[in-house]
Amino acid sequence: MTDEHTHEPPQASDRTGRLYGVLAEYDTPGDLIEAARKVRDAGYTEFDCYSPFPVHGIDEAMGIKRTILPVLIFGGGVAGTLGGLLLQWWCNAYNWPWNISGKPSWSIPANVPIAFETTILLAVFTSFFGMWILNKLPQVWHPFFRNERFNHVTDDAFVLGIEARDRRFDAAATPKLLADAGAILVEKVYLDPDPASRQMPKWITAFIVASTAFALIPFAIAAKARTSHSSEPHLHIFPDMDFQPKYKSDQAMDLFGDGRENRGELSGTIARGSLNADDTFYHGLDRSDAGTQWTTGFPHQLEINDQLLKRGKNRFEIYCTPCHGHDGRGLGAVPQRVALTGGAWQARNLVDASNPVAINMPNGQLFNTISNGYNTMMGYAAQIPHADRWAIVLYVRALQRSQNASLDDVPPDHRSGMQMPEAPTP
Amino acid sequence: MSVLQKSLHPDEKYKAGKLGATLQKIGIAIAVVFFAISLLLVVFSNPDVARTAGHVDSSGAGDRWARFFFAYVVGWSYIFSICVGVFWLVLLHHLSRGRWATAVRRIAEAMSMAFPVVFIAGLGFVIPLLFGYQDLYYWAHPDAGMCLEKVATACHEYLNPTLAHKLGWLSPGFFAGRYVVYGLLYTGMASYFTRKSRQQDDSGDPKISDQLRVASGPAMIVYALITCFAAFDILMSMAPKWYSTIYGVNFWGSACVGGFAALGLMVLGVQRSGRLTHSVNAEHYHDIGKWMFAFTFFWAYTAFSQFMLQWYGNLPEETVWYKYRLFGEWQWVSIAMLVGFWAFPFVFLMSRWTKRIVPSLVFFAVWQLVFHWLDLYWNVMPSYDWLPTFHGAARIVSGPLTGNTAYHHVGFTPVDVTVWLALIGVLLAGFGRNLHGNLIPVKDPTLGLSLAHENL
Repeated sequence: MTDEHTHEPPQASDRTGRLYGVLAEYDTPGDLIEAARKVRDAGYTEFDCYSPFPVHGIDEAMGIKRTILPVLIFGGGVAGTLGGLLLQWWCNAYNWPWNISGKPSWSIPANVPIAFETTILLAVFTSFFGMWILNKLPQVWHPFFRNERFNHVTDDAFVLGIEARDRRFDAAATPKLLADAGAILVEKVYLDPDPASRQMPKWITAFIVASTAFALIPFAIAAKARTSHSSEPHLHIFPDMDFQPKYKSDQAMDLFGDGRENRGELSGTIARGSLNADDTFYHGLDRSDAGTQWTTGFPHQLEINDQLLKRGKNRFEIYCTPCHGHDGRGLGAVPQRVALTGGAWQARNLVDASNPVAINMPNGQLFNTISNGYNTMMGYAAQIPHADRWAIVLYVRALQRSQNASLDDVPPDHRSGMQMPEAPTP
Repeated sequence: MSVLQKSLHPDEKYKAGKLGATLQKIGIAIAVVFFAISLLLVVFSNPDVARTAGHVDSSGAGDRWARFFFAYVVGWSYIFSICVGVFWLVLLHHLSRGRWATAVRRIAEAMSMAFPVVFIAGLGFVIPLLFGYQDLYYWAHPDAGMCLEKVATACHEYLNPTLAHKLGWLSPGFFAGRYVVYGLLYTGMASYFTRKSRQQDDSGDPKISDQLRVASGPAMIVYALITCFAAFDILMSMAPKWYSTIYGVNFWGSACVGGFAALGLMVLGVQRSGRLTHSVNAEHYHDIGKWMFAFTFFWAYTAFSQFMLQWYGNLPEETVWYKYRLFGEWQWVSIAMLVGFWAFPFVFLMSRWTKRIVPSLVFFAVWQLVFHWLDLYWNVMPSYDWLPTFHGAARIVSGPLTGNTAYHHVGFTPVDVTVWLALIGVLLAGFGRNLHGNLIPVKDPTLGLSLAHENL
C-alpha cells in the first residue's frame, strides 16, 4: 500500500542528500482538513498545509492558535491616529501656524481626514508586513520547492508537508500515516547535497545592495541642494512649458511701430462701460460757465439717507480705518505699528478742527482724493466703485460732524443728564 | 460530502408554525397600548407655548398635536429604516452570490415584507399633511418661502429665494404621490424576492436563484434611488432650506446599522423558540455583527463627510443645520451620538469575540437600535421649534432653524418614546405577518455552503 503511493525522488543524486520531509497531496480541501486533523492527533507539530486558497477550518484542524496580528494592527492603527494628529499639530499649530480661512490653526475637524488616512496607512502596513514577518516570509528558497507537485499548490494541489526535524518523524511510519489519511500522492523531499545551493545567489545580494544605493541618490541630491548655492540656471525639465511662444503684456514686440506688445486705447474710442460722462458722479466736478470746480454737494443720482451712510461706514471701516483709524484721527493700525517700530508717521487727521484741511475740502475733492490718492496715499479707484466712494465721503462728513459735536447738536429733550467732557488740561 | 457543505440537520425545526401569529399578536398589543397612551398624553397635555408663539395661524389643538406628529415621523422613519436595512441584505446576497446568509435569508425576507404594513402606518402623517395639516413640515405652512425685512420704516415681505423655488417639489400633493410610489416599489421588490424564494422551497429549481440574481442588479439601483429620495423627502425636508447630497446615503448607513441589529435579534428570537437551533450558529451571528460594525463606521464616515465639508465651506445656508445641533442643548445630543453611535460600538465591535458571543452581540444590537432611534431624533427634532419673526406688528413664522440657539431646546417629552414604541409594535406585527412556512430556504442551492459556513 505504502509502496504504491510513495514515489521515489525524481533525481537520483538527491538520495545522497539528507531527508528534509515528506509531502502528501490530497484531492480536496475537505480531505486536507481531515488529514491535518489526523496528523495533529498523532502528535506532530512541525507540519504545514499548503493550498491555492484559504481553506475554512484548516486552522482549527491543524491546532493553530489564533494569530496575534489583529492586536498588532490595532496598535498600528492607534499609532497612525496619534501620529497623524501629532504631525498636524506640529506643522500647523506649533512650528508654522498659518491662518487658513479663519479656522483655528489647531482644529480637530480639519485634522480628521489626515488622521483617518494615517490610521489606515499604519494599520495596513502593520497588517501587510506583520503577516510576512509572522509567517517568516519571504522564503525565496525552500527545500519543498524541489518537489515538482509542490509547485502546484498555487494552482490546484492541496498538500500537507511534515518536516523531518519533528521528533515524531519516522521515515517509514510518517508516509504511511499520510497515505492512510487519504493521500493521492506521498513523496519524500531531500536536501540538495551541495550546501552552496541553499544559499542566496550572490548576484541577488549585489542587486539588492546596488538598487538600494541607487534609490538613495534622489534623496542625496535633495539633501545637498538644501544647503548649497549655485549660480547655474536651474534645469528646465519641460522647456516648452517654461518658454512659451506667446506674448505677454508689457513685453517688447517688433510687429508694431511703437515696439510694444501692449495695445493702448485707440484714440477717439472708449471701452464699453467706461464713458463716465457725468462729471459730478464720476469725477466730483461741477462744470459751469464760470469755470470748473470741485462739487460741494452730492451727485443727484444718490439718495442721501441712513442706508447710504451705513454703507459708507462699512466701506470706510474696510478701506480707510487701517490708516485713518475708526474715528478718522489718523491713528489706525498702520501708524500705531510705525510708532511701535520707533518711527513717527501718522495719516491725515480727517476731523481735526484746529488744522481743518480735510474739513475744508469740498465733497468733490474728497471724492477725488479717494479715487486718485493724495501725497503717499494711493488711489482706491480700482477697489471701490464710484457710488461707494460717495458713500465714504458722506460718512467722512458725518465723522467730522460727530467728532466736533457740541451740546447744541443734541436735541433739547435728550440733553438732561448729559455732560460734555471737560477739556483735557495741557 | 465535503466539509464545505452540510445538509440540513434531520432534527431541525424549520417550520414557523405559530411563531408568526404569536409575534403578530404581541406587536398589535404593543401598538394598541402605546398608541392609546400616546393619545392620552397628547389630549391631556398643555398646548406647547413655544409652538403657539410660532403658530399664529393654528388653533390650540394644532399645537398639542405638533409634537405627536414629529415623534410619529421619527418613529416611522425608524421602522421604515429597519426594513430598508434588512432588505438590503436580501438584495446584496443575490447580487453578490452570497453564501453565508442563506440560512438567515428567509427571516430577512420575512422582515422586509413588513414594507406594506410600514407604508400603511406612514399614512398616519401623510394623510393629515395631504388634508392641510401645516405644523409638521414647514414647507406646507403658508408662511414658507416668505421673509420679513425692515427697510427704512416699511416692513417688506418678500420671497425667500432658498425655499421658494423648492415649493413645487415640496408640496403636499406631490409629496404624498412620491410616498405612494416609494411604498409600491419597496413592497413590489420585497414581495418579488420573497415570493420567488418561497417558490424555490417547493420546486427546488436552481434557475430561480439565477433569476433573482439577474433581478437584484436593477432592483439595487431602484432601491438606492428611492431610499435616497425617501430620506430627502421625509427627513431632510424637515429643514427645507438646508440641503446635503450625501444625506440619503447617511440615512441608509444608519438604516443598515438598525437593520442588521434587528436581524440579529430576530434570528436569536427564532432560535429561542426552538427553531433553527442547528442551522444558525456563531458564524452567522459573527457575520451579522460584522455588517453592523461596518455600517456603524460607514454611518460615521458619511456623517462626518457631511459635517466637515459644510463646516469647512462655511456657507451660511449649509452650516445653519449644524449651528442648531452644535450649540445650545442639542450639542449634548450630538456628543452622545458621536460617542454612543460610533466611538463605543466601533471600538468594541472590532474584536471578533464581541460579535461571536451571543449575549455580547445582543447588547450591542440593542445599544445600536436605541442609538439609531436617537440618530433619527437628532435629525428631525431640532426642526421642531418654529420661531416667529417680528417687525413691529408684522409677523411671520420663519420656520425651523432660525433665531437664537439658546431658544432651541431638546424638549424631550414622553410622547417621543410612546409613539416610537407603538410603531415598533406595528413593525413587529408586520414581521409576524410574514413569518410563516419554512424559516429557511430549504432547497436553495447555496444552503449547504451557508450551513457549513465558517469565518477564517
